[in-house]
Amino acid sequence: MSKIKVIPCSGIGKVFGLLARESVLMVTEEKCPDECETLCLAHVVTGDDEVVGKINGENCITMDGCAKYCAKKSVEETGGIVVKSHKVPDYIKAHRGEEHGTGTYLTDDGWKYAEELAEIMVEDIKEIKAGVN
Amino acid sequence: MLGNRIGVISCSGEECLGGTISRLAVRKMMEELKPGMVSTLCLPLFIAGDGGEREFAEKYPTIAVDGCSKCCAKRAIEKYSSAVAGSIDVAEIIGEAKALEKPLSTRYITDLHMEYVNQTAAKTCEIFDEILAKQ
Amino acid sequence: MSESLCVLPCNGLDKCAGDLSRRVAQEMAKSEEVELICPVLLNQNKSRYEKALEAGSLTVIDGCNTRCASKLAADLELAIKEKVNVSEVAKSLDIKLGIEIREDQDTQAVIQAVLGKINSSAAEQVESEFVEPESVEYNTFSHGKFIFKVPKANYYFNENDCWVTVSGNMARVGVSDYVQQNLSDILYVDPPEIGDEFEQFDDLGSIESSKAVFEIVSPVAGTVVAVNAGLSDAPEQVNESPYEKGWLVEVRLSDFEEDQDLLHDCPAYFEFLKRKVAEIDV
Repeated sequence: MSKIKVIPCSGIGKVFGLLARESVLMVTEEKCPDECETLCLAHVVTGDDEVVGKINGENCITMDGCAKYCAKKSVEETGGIVVKSHKVPDYIKAHRGEEHGTGTYLTDDGWKYAEELAEIMVEDIKEIKAGVN
Repeated sequence: MLGNRIGVISCSGEECLGGTISRLAVRKMMEELKPGMVSTLCLPLFIAGDGGEREFAEKYPTIAVDGCSKCCAKRAIEKYSSAVAGSIDVAEIIGEAKALEKPLSTRYITDLHMEYVNQTAAKTCEIFDEILAKQ
Repeated sequence: MSESLCVLPCNGLDKCAGDLSRRVAQEMAKSEEVELICPVLLNQNKSRYEKALEAGSLTVIDGCNTRCASKLAADLELAIKEKVNVSEVAKSLDIKLGIEIREDQDTQAVIQAVLGKINSSAAEQVESEFVEPESVEYNTFSHGKFIFKVPKANYYFNENDCWVTVSGNMARVGVSDYVQQNLSDILYVDPPEIGDEFEQFDDLGSIESSKAVFEIVSPVAGTVVAVNAGLSDAPEQVNESPYEKGWLVEVRLSDFEEDQDLLHDCPAYFEFLKRKVAEIDV
């Protein structure tokens, strides 16, 4: 079974883009490296043959930085099956008042929030592997 | 919020070290080297066609900073807006093999990585200054 | 209070607002129908309060905008019936609380106001009488990579970039596209209370992004009859549709004819905004 694709939006302007990126890297590089992999969103939308081949018809999880849903929309347009879609602000209510950092670096609170987002995606991966969508 | 009239766009670079370097170099430009003088464009938004990113790149000179020789940011600008005013390929600065190493979390940045960021940012500033001199 | 109630105050030891939160909760707990929940014990052993939380509704009292009690309740997935913020109540009474723990006329006034807020029966949101326009057309102008839009007609603006649109003696209030672009992603919407009466240019709640908090300065005088409840779960509606789906407050107008004298119509606001944007870029 091919690896589950976990794709962040990676917007450069805001901390939410960095949170999306770092949380996905935690999942693909540290928490579930055997079960999933990330793909470069730019390769997806510029139609890189190799990457499109990896996405088309495959289960994907997207983590967007905001409600523009760049990652989700791009993956869907390329034929990926977005089984789980999140955006960083979805879980922000419990973190009101915290400073998470900037588009360049995360604070301690930012890293904790990234960890929380990563755990949400780990649960998604477990569900997908168990056949529950 | 409104920035200036030269745009800089980085690749999104989740798959390799070069992507992280290009992002950090662009952030260094906007925060330290040319604060208030650049408009950073968001590549995912640019490609999605939302916001004023494409319109900006059509009207104003835009520099692409790419993490590898696939040059996604440069190709996106050329496809959707117009010719780039300048282009940096991080792979040409740090070497192709290095640029294609595993993606790097900002938690694990070393002095060597920061040196790569500085070199990339410096090259981007050179292009920026050339464009500014012509304006 | 006829039904049973649980009250969860914050644990703020380091400032006056936290102390007042505790004192309000203790005052409430004098009633047999109220169970006082200790936040530290709740955090350590939620099961201690399970029966009480099942039997009664939960009121949370936060001392300040860090909202520790609300966050604790949210982390434990407790359903919150009502939230009160002591610092905000003090601000509305023009009382500065500061750090020092004290007992004086001001702190008593804040305690009574918080109790009053909790005890009063909440006004129900009425069925909307506001007739939404079928479609809204816009004029736009660009500056750098930003494109700003302003409706062509039927909206009025104050110079704080808040708008009002009128339907009979009802109106809706919101923020302009310029505001939502400046703030970037809106994360929280803090609306006013149903039944609140206000004058033109009074504060009418606030919206918050990761960049800043923006106080809504009301373009009109009136009474709050509804708030856009959907924004609690989807605050991004303010970014996506600032003039339509992202409306913030619905009001019954007091005297729009008088208010209108001090507002810009759409063409005037369009010009005003163009000048403002150009000046900021200098």
